[in-house]
Amino acid sequence: MNRRTLALLGLVVALTAALLGGGCMPQAGNPQKSPNEASSGTLVESPKKYDGTSVTFEGEAIGEVMVRGDMAWIHVNDDAYYLENVEEGAALGGYNSGMAIWLPAEEAAKITLVGDYKHEGDVVKIEGVFNAACAEHGGDLDIHATSLSIVSEGRSAVDPVKVVKLLWAIGLAFLAWVLWFTNRKWDDWGIGSTTSR
Amino acid sequence: MILRPRKEDHLVIGKYTGKVVTGVGLLMIVPLLVSAFFGEWDTVVDFVIGISACLVFGFGTQLLCRTERDLNWSHGLVVASGSWGVATILGALPHFLSGHEGSYLDAMFDVMSGYTTTGLYLLQDLDHISMGLNMWRHLLTYAGGQGIVVIALTFLFKGTAGAYKVYVGEGKDERLLPNVVQTAQAIWLVSLTWLIVGTLALFVTGWSLGQEPVRAFFHAMWVFMGAWSTGGFAPQSYNTFWFHSLTFETISIVIMIAGSFNFALHWALWTGKRKEVIRNVETISFAVTLSVTTLIATFALAKAGVYPDAMTLFRKVFYQLASGHTTTGFSTIYARAFVTQWGPIGLIATTIAMAIGASACSTGGGIKGIRIGVMTKAFFQDVRRILSPESAVVRAKYHHIRDVMLDDGIVRTSMTITIAYITLYGLTAVVGALYGYDFLQAAFEGVSAVSNTGLSCGVTSPAMPSLMKVLYIVGMWLGRLEFMSVFALVGYGVAIIRGRR
Repeated sequence: MNRRTLALLGLVVALTAALLGGGCMPQAGNPQKSPNEASSGTLVESPKKYDGTSVTFEGEAIGEVMVRGDMAWIHVNDDAYYLENVEEGAALGGYNSGMAIWLPAEEAAKITLVGDYKHEGDVVKIEGVFNAACAEHGGDLDIHATSLSIVSEGRSAVDPVKVVKLLWAIGLAFLAWVLWFTNRKWDDWGIGSTTSR
Repeated sequence: MILRPRKEDHLVIGKYTGKVVTGVGLLMIVPLLVSAFFGEWDTVVDFVIGISACLVFGFGTQLLCRTERDLNWSHGLVVASGSWGVATILGALPHFLSGHEGSYLDAMFDVMSGYTTTGLYLLQDLDHISMGLNMWRHLLTYAGGQGIVVIALTFLFKGTAGAYKVYVGEGKDERLLPNVVQTAQAIWLVSLTWLIVGTLALFVTGWSLGQEPVRAFFHAMWVFMGAWSTGGFAPQSYNTFWFHSLTFETISIVIMIAGSFNFALHWALWTGKRKEVIRNVETISFAVTLSVTTLIATFALAKAGVYPDAMTLFRKVFYQLASGHTTTGFSTIYARAFVTQWGPIGLIATTIAMAIGASACSTGGGIKGIRIGVMTKAFFQDVRRILSPESAVVRAKYHHIRDVMLDDGIVRTSMTITIAYITLYGLTAVVGALYGYDFLQAAFEGVSAVSNTGLSCGVTSPAMPSLMKVLYIVGMWLGRLEFMSVFALVGYGVAIIRGRR
C-alpha cells in the first residue's frame, strides 16, 4: 500500500470516527413544556389516533387573526415560547410548534393581542374537534373549535438596544469608513504601485 | 504537476471576492431600513454590524489586493465559491446577534440555506423574530436565487471581461445577451417584473384572506421571494400552511414553477418565442417526472386513505410534489406528516422529485431536467443503435433554445454531474443513518439539502449533530454551485500548500 492510499484510508477512518463521535447536540435549555395533554407534537405524531376526537388545546395566539366571513383562522403555539419569548429573555427551546384553529369569528374576536417580535400574545384555551385531514379545508391538519377563552392576556415584549452591540456597530462602521476613504484616495496619494496587466 | 499560485493570483481573487462581499453588505441596507421603519432598533444595530463587517472585508481586500489584472477561468471559479463562503460567514452576523440561533454554526447554516435557495433552517422561535430579520432571510434567498455574483456583476463589475468566468462559477452558463453584464441585467429585468406582478397577486389574495394590509404586503413579498427563488423560506413557522387557501397555493405554485425554469427559457418567452415552453427538453422532462412522481404518491396515499376525497388528495400531493420537484420547499403539511401520514412511498416519491430538481441556469437545484433529458435521449439512442444495422448512423438531438445534436461530450458532462449529485445524496443519507436516523428519512433530508429544496421530514433541527449541520452546509454549497467551483477552491488551497513554484 503506498503512502497516498494509507493517507486516504487514515482520513476516511478519522472522518468516520469524528462523525460517530460527534453525537447529538444536547437539546436547548428551555424547560417550558406544552400545557396540553395532547400537545401539537403528539397530534402531529399520532394523527390517526386523535382524528375526530374532542380536544382542549391551550397556547399563545400567534401572528394574526384571519377573519373569513363568520369564521376565522387563528394559530395557537404550545411550544417553549408560549409564556415567554426569546426577545423577553427565554432560553432557546427548539422550533415553534402549534395548531391551526378554525373557529367562529366572534370567539376569535376575544383575542386582543397576538404574538410577534414586539408582543407575547394572549394565551388562549380552545375546545373543539381535531381533524387529521380536514375535508372542509383541503386536507389540512386542524382543530375546529367551538369556544375560546383567554387564559392570560398578552403583553408588549421589549427588546432593548444592547450597549455592547452598539459600541461594536460604531467601531466597525468607523473602520469601514476609514477603509473606504483610504481606498478612494489611494491612487491620489500615490502610495505603492499597481500590478500591471 | 500542481503550480503554486503567484502573488498576482491572490491579488485578483482577493479583489473580486471583496467586491462580491461588499455587494452582500450593501444588500443588508434593505432589512436595516425595514427594521428602522418598524422601530426595531436592536435589529437595526445588528444590521449596522453586519454591513460594517462586510464593508471592512470588502474595502480591506480591495485595498490590500490592488491589481488591474483580469480574471481567468480558475480565478472565476475560486472567486464564486470563495465569496459564497465569506458571504455566509459575515452574512450570518444578523442571524446570530438576534439571539434566535443556538450557535454561530446554526446561523451560518441558515444563511447558506438562504443563499443556496434551500430553505432548511435552524433558527428558533421564528414566529417572534423581527420584520427586519425576516426581510433579510427572504432577501438572502431572493439574492441567492439570482446569484450573489449576478448582483455584484450588475452593480460592481462593470466592463470586466473576466466577469463571465465568475458568473459561470456560480452555476450559471447561459449567456442571454452578448455581454455578461447585460445578461445579469436581463436576469434582473425578468425577476423584478415577476416580483412586482407576483407580489401584487399574493398581496391582494392575502388581504382578501383576512390579513392586515401592511402584513399582507410583506407576507406577499416574502412568499414571492421564497417561491420565485425556489427557496422555501416563509415568514411563519407554519410555512404556506399558514394561509389555508387554494387561491394562495395556486399562485405560489405558478410562481415556483416559473422560478424553476431556465433563465434562457424566460428570456426566449420574453422575446416572443412562446413555442419554446412546449419544445424545450427541460420543460418536457419536468412535466414527465412531475407527473410520474405525483402519480406514485397519489396512488400510495389513496391506498392508505389518508385524505378524505380525490380533490383534497390531489391538492395536497400536487403541492408538495411541485414544491419538491421545483426544489422550492414550501409545504402545506407539517414536516413530520411526511412520516406519520405520507409513509414510505410518499417519502420516496418526494425524494425522487427533489433529487431530479429544477432547470439548469435557474434559481433551483438538483440534478436538473436538462441532464435527465440528455441522459434519457442518450439511452434511447443506444437502444436504437443496438436495434439498427451495424452500418446505420443513429443520431439524436434535443431542443434547448435551439436544436442541439447529442454527442458523447454532452452526455459525459451530464453523467459526471449526475454521479456527483448521487454520490453526495448517498453520503448525506449514510451519515444520517450512521447517527441513528431512519435511512429513508435521512435520505429524504440529505437529498433535500443537497438539491437545495428545503422540505423536511423532521431530521433537520437545532438538536441535530454538529457534523451533520456541517455536512448539510457543504452539501448545499456544492449542490448550488454544481461542484466544480468548490472543487476549484479546494484545488486552490491545495496548490498553495503543495504546489511547485
